Amino acid sequence: MSVPTTAAAARLATRGLDLRYGDRTVVRGLDLEIPGDAVTAIVGPNACGKSTLLRGLARLLAPAAGTVTLDGSDIHRIPARTLAKSLGLLPQQPVTPEAITVEALVRLGRHPHQRLFGTWSGSDQAAVERALERTGADALRDRPVDQLSGGQRQRAWIALALAQETNLLLLDEPTTFLDLRHQLDVLNLVADLRADAGRTVVMVLHDLGQAARYADHLVVLHDGGLAAAGPPGAVLTAELVAQVFEVQCRVVPDPETGTPLVVPLARRRPAGRADRSLRGESDLCPTAH
Amino acid sequence: MLTRGSAMNQRSALTIARRRALLLCATCAATLAALIGTALSTGDMHIPFFTAVRALFGAGDSGTVLVVQQFRAPRVFAAVFAGAALAVAGSMTQRLLRNPLASPDVIGVTGGASCGAVLILATGGIPAALTPVAAVAGGLLVAVLLGASAWRSQVSVTRLVLVGVALQQGLAAVVNLMIVRFPQELASQALQWSSGSLYGRTWTEVWVAGGAIVVGGAVAALTQRRVAVLDLGEESAGGLGLDPRRARLGLLVLAVLLASLAAALSGPIGFVALVVPHLVRRLAGPPTPATLALTALTGAVLLLGADYVALNLLPIRGLPAGSVTATLGAPWLLVLMARSRTKPVQRTLT
Repeated sequence: MSVPTTAAAARLATRGLDLRYGDRTVVRGLDLEIPGDAVTAIVGPNACGKSTLLRGLARLLAPAAGTVTLDGSDIHRIPARTLAKSLGLLPQQPVTPEAITVEALVRLGRHPHQRLFGTWSGSDQAAVERALERTGADALRDRPVDQLSGGQRQRAWIALALAQETNLLLLDEPTTFLDLRHQLDVLNLVADLRADAGRTVVMVLHDLGQAARYADHLVVLHDGGLAAAGPPGAVLTAELVAQVFEVQCRVVPDPETGTPLVVPLARRRPAGRADRSLRGESDLCPTAH
Repeated sequence: MLTRGSAMNQRSALTIARRRALLLCATCAATLAALIGTALSTGDMHIPFFTAVRALFGAGDSGTVLVVQQFRAPRVFAAVFAGAALAVAGSMTQRLLRNPLASPDVIGVTGGASCGAVLILATGGIPAALTPVAAVAGGLLVAVLLGASAWRSQVSVTRLVLVGVALQQGLAAVVNLMIVRFPQELASQALQWSSGSLYGRTWTEVWVAGGAIVVGGAVAALTQRRVAVLDLGEESAGGLGLDPRRARLGLLVLAVLLASLAAALSGPIGFVALVVPHLVRRLAGPPTPATLALTALTGAVLLLGADYVALNLLPIRGLPAGSVTATLGAPWLLVLMARSRTKPVQRTLT
């Protein structure tokens, strides 16, 4: 679309959104705006409806009530293929087909761009090459995906989503099951995607510090409703963490970036124990009384 | 990152896999052509290979042309079409249901199709051209029953397979009952057919079912990309703009149609649909449109070969092709089950 949008303009929005599995309501009455050209992180305790919300935003789950709009139009009125050209999704645990190579996997990202009788075009191949290069997966292209390490596999899947060439990307816990280095690889890639290509990224994250570092906009969910939303610096407070995660903490500036960093309070221990461990005595059974 | 060696190399793994599949296709097609010629020339009256091939196209003396065109060719082409359709149907159902055992002859579709066809045969007086229609109706009916009994949102495919196995047995019993109860001459015809025989096929049947199989196969080839996207799981498929449920349902109906049409031509032939997809995967690697063509060709070679063996090479004459495929397929099934113990077969549809 050629309509110029300001950074603050909402691309995805929900209004009075209810999402249900059977008769279990997971998301209730949600009003949410996801800003364009920004990274939004959705955080919240387990089972608060993060992944369900992402499914709803990606049109994988029909709302029981309310609407989800993309650039102002109801996503359930947009043809599936058209929507898939502007909105890509990386599920939390995608299914890797047996023995498929990285390149074959990434090529499937071109599906929404291909017609029934259409052949594989030069622009399809170019998009695949860009995606492979972008994610550093081009050296892996001939390797079977099911034989890759967790970090490499995640690169391949992100490359698939990039080959789809959508300007909106939804990532469901892209860092889960990865070690710290590969978590940071993925998050840096996300940051680059937004910086270079002006993509809008929405991701579900568990680590509040990482969310605060990498997101421009933070959405905090609690019991299927919105607890808070806004820039991480404004949203992430000790009161909010106590209320939503039921964790007493201090919020201090991240020494590297200045973004909020959640530091849980130390557990209260019986008096004298801390002194003993400072003196280097063995403390094999810290929970015993 | 390591060297860019593999990327620099012009032949990527995909290109190599495609070439390999095409080479195998060419080999298979040549084998099939040779087998067709051999089958046309062998019989009570021996006809030289090239004379038989010429007679197929109407050249040569009228007696030879009659034997080849009217007696031998329908049977040969029934085997070719049925084998190809069975193999493609098997590969589709195994992929769509994510279970290496979920082939149409195991889950009852073939049984339903047989039931429908035997009903038509045994009733008598109904044109042979309607046999494929009845078989398709029977196959679809079983598919609907399967769907109703096992196709809930998060159904275990293992359960689907078990329900299918039960249906297959039940339907075989129904076919036997019909054969026992029907008048002698109709019953013997139905019995012959229900043991998986290609005996006595007519051009009408071959044209009707074969034509439908060619159309179905073309649709299957065009929709291969959808199957590949469905392989990524429901969420990824949805994210790529495919309605996973509707797409899977449509493709399963297509597979049921192909399997039923095959059953209309050859009766309930076992194991071709089960075995060929595994064979092709071992030979040519993960599925692509090229491997689909290879699947069809391999199925045709296997069934025509089995029929040739049954007809000409066994000491007991007159055995149905189905008994040969079963003899070859049963050990394979055991090997498959033994091997699958290391890998989980019981997966659910997500």
